[in-house]
This record gives sequence, C-alpha cells and structure tokens, in this order.
Amino acid sequence: MVASPLGRLAGLLPLIGLIVAWQAAVMAQIYPPVLLPAPHKVANAFALYGGDILHNTLASLSRVAIGIGLAFVVGVPMGLLIGRFAWLDRLCDWSIQTFRSVPPISLIPMAMLFFGIGDTPAIVLIFLAGLWPLLLNTIFGVRTIERTLLKVAAAAGASEALILRDIVWPAALPSIFTGLRLAVGGGWLTVVTAEMIAVKSGLGYMILNAQMTFRPELIFAGIVVIGAIGLLADFSVQRLRRFACSWQEGLMVQGR
Amino acid sequence: MSAAFIECLDVGKVYDGRTGSVEALRGVSLACAEGEFVCLLGLSGCGKSTLLQMIGGLEAPSSGQIVVAGRELSGPSPATAIVFQDHGLFPWMTVAQNVAFNMKARGVGAKERRARVAEMLALTGLSGFATRYPHELSGGMRQRVGIARALTTKPRALLMDEPFGALDAQTRARLQHELLEIWAAQRTTVLFVTHSIDEAVFLADRILVFTPRPGQLAAEVTVDLPRPRTPRSPGFAALAARLRGLLGTEEGSE
Repeated sequence: MVASPLGRLAGLLPLIGLIVAWQAAVMAQIYPPVLLPAPHKVANAFALYGGDILHNTLASLSRVAIGIGLAFVVGVPMGLLIGRFAWLDRLCDWSIQTFRSVPPISLIPMAMLFFGIGDTPAIVLIFLAGLWPLLLNTIFGVRTIERTLLKVAAAAGASEALILRDIVWPAALPSIFTGLRLAVGGGWLTVVTAEMIAVKSGLGYMILNAQMTFRPELIFAGIVVIGAIGLLADFSVQRLRRFACSWQEGLMVQGR
Repeated sequence: MSAAFIECLDVGKVYDGRTGSVEALRGVSLACAEGEFVCLLGLSGCGKSTLLQMIGGLEAPSSGQIVVAGRELSGPSPATAIVFQDHGLFPWMTVAQNVAFNMKARGVGAKERRARVAEMLALTGLSGFATRYPHELSGGMRQRVGIARALTTKPRALLMDEPFGALDAQTRARLQHELLEIWAAQRTTVLFVTHSIDEAVFLADRILVFTPRPGQLAAEVTVDLPRPRTPRSPGFAALAARLRGLLGTEEGSE
C-alpha cells in the first residue's frame, strides 16, 4: 500500500510535537533564554540574519556537491571494475577495509596541515566521507548481478566495454543509489564538522561563531537549516533513484 | 549435410570443489545434423544442462572435444545462440532493447538492428510489446523475448536449456507449438534440454537419454512419429513408456 500524500504528512507530527514541547519548556523557563531561545525568536533570526544564513548555506552545499561529485566520479567506476574483476578485488580489498574504518573527522588535523584553512581540506574530507560508501555499495551491486545475465552476454560474445556499460552499470545502479544516499548523509555531517575547525565560512562556522557571539537563536536557526537540508537531500536522492531505476518498480515488493 | 553440425567426442566434465571433485559428465559422444531437432532428456543432475553450456562455449570440457560448424570450440560460437530457462532478460531494457542485445554484442549496425528486431518480434508474436519492460510481461511472453533475442543473429543452431520448464502447462504447450513453427520456418538446428518425457516426444526428431552420477549418454531414440503430434497420436504413449524405462523411473515426469 502506498500512503496517500495527506497520509505522508503524518511524518510531520513528531516535529510539530517537538516544537510544542520546546515552546512549553521556554514558557516554563526551564533554561534561561540565553541558552534556549523561544521558537519565534529563532524564526525571527531567519529574517534578521537571512543573508548570512543563505550565504553560509550555499558555501556548505557547494562543498558537499563538489566533494560528493568527486567521490562519485572516482568511487563508482572503481567499484564497477573491482566488482567485475576478481584479481582487482584481491588487490584492493584489504586497503579498502583499512581506510574505510578511519572516520574522516579524525583526518581534520592532517588535512589542515597539508591544505591549510579553506575549501580544500573540507572538500577532501567530504570526498573521503563519500568515497567509501559509494565504492563499497557499487562493488556490492556488481557482485549481486544475476549470473544468467552475464552468461547471456558471454554467449553473445559481448565486449567487456559493452558488458560494463549495458549490464554491470545498470544492474549496480540501485546499489549505487544506496551508496549515494549514505555518501550525501556522511558528506553533510562532515562538512558541518570540518567548517567548525578548518574553514571560515559555512553553516558549521556560522554556528560556532554564533556561540562565541552569544546569539543562541542563530545557533538554533543553523541547526534547523542543517536538518532541513539533510531531509531534502535524502528525499532528492530517493526521487532520483526512483526515476533512474524505474524498471525496478515492478520487481520490488511494495513494503509500505 | 553429411558432416555433423554439432559433434561431441568423448566429452567429460569434472568440477573441482572444496569437498573433492564431482564428475558431472563422462564420455559423451554425439553428433547432430544441421536442421535436426534433438532433445537431451534426463532427470536433474544428469549433466544435460552442463553439456549444453559447453556446446554453447560458456564452459570448457575437462576432457574430449566439441566441434561446432566444423571448428573446435574455444568459446561461444557465433553459429549458436542460447535460450535460458530463467530467460535471462535484462530488467532495465525494454523488450526491443533486449531483443537487440545479441546483435549489438556482435557489432550489427543500429539500422539493421531495428529492422531485425521488428522482424523477430513479429515472428514471436510480440509486436506491440517493443517498449514494455520484462516485469510487465507474463512468463510465456518473457520466454518469447528470449527466443526472439536468440534468433536475431541468425544462429545455425539454437541451444535451449529447459526454456519452458518454469511455465504453466497451457503456456508451455502453446510455446512448444510456436517453437516448432519457428523451427520449420527458420530451419535452424535445435538442441533442447528437458526433463519432461512428453515434451521430448512432442518436439524431437531424436532424443538423447541421459542418466546421472556421473552424467552419461544412456540411449538414443529416433522419433519417427509424424507431426503434429499429440499425446493421443498412435505410438506416442508407447514411446513415452519406453523412455520412462530408459530413464529408470516409473513415475517419469509431469
């Protein structure tokens, strides 16, 4: 059963509940207003600092777009080849397993030493945050190709290039989207963290700066933007997947 | 026509597994003339599918040699095309794209591909389904697409691996009829793997009976019943009974 559009809006209820609880906590004065600003003050912050918020949001977004874009361009072709050729898998497997266990955030100090302060270290870290999920999910997608399909290609005398383009890539696409979804999520987490330390712009920087200048409503506004964009990004990747893998619709059991 | 089109000489296949080696096929020699319809009949595990895959060039024999169209095999031959039991259609391609795939793999130009796809779709009763995706089709329709795809490269032999095994009885009967019509029209050689005695008797000029452990060619039966055949044709039941005896099973198959 696919829920009606109105039914989907039920997903907003917990968020509305949270805002109500927040308002209640403010009215009960559990925390001083310097720590916990009222919801309407946070809403007001969007009007007050609108240009600032927009500018920093775009800075964060462009870093994630570039970092994840690079991760896609590198990780997906690599994954297709590693999944396709067993010898390449044997060559790379241990290295991949080693490096993917390193949280990108732990590399911030090193990235700053190598690349200084600015866009480059942030983009490098986002790239690394996106690379592993994309690479691993692509490899997984290639491995799960139905064997008969590869036999069909072999029997027809298909070239390796045709097999990669017409069979391996489309067959792995649903998994690649799973990887992309994780990569975008991980990249978004990484950009905010990196901006608090290694960059002088972006939402992470804005929040840290707001803390140091005692503007709690701007901290909250920043968090709201980060959450909203996270939701929107995930939603977009899902939509894109449904569009690109429409052939899959009939094959999947409708879970909802 | 005197020389065999497909010839197996003392072909054996051994799989090396972690728990030791398994002999799938031993000492199979057979010859198949051009235009002939030959069924490989046997219960599961008798190596008949393995043999077909080897004739298709997908696997190499462990011993012996296989000759197709006068050349010893060292990979898939352009003279053969395979139809798989689970049809092997690409779910992300439309029917037309699926049918065109073998030609694309063999480097046939786009224009000729289009013409040939239309021709094969018409032959297999799929016109009007060109832009559908496999998941939108019934099992019988999917296997028609598989057959259409195999025929596009004008193979001299069609290798069919239990192509109708997963279909319901009515669809199966209809596709058997259609296959014979296509065979009669195209005059290709057909090598057809099945575990159904009735299917073999209905289709074949000649039936090669395989027995398991290890897979061996146990008997060869020529079917000289006139076509079209039905299970009520004179001689049909007697032949089926004889095959049941050769397979060494009283219940036979469905």
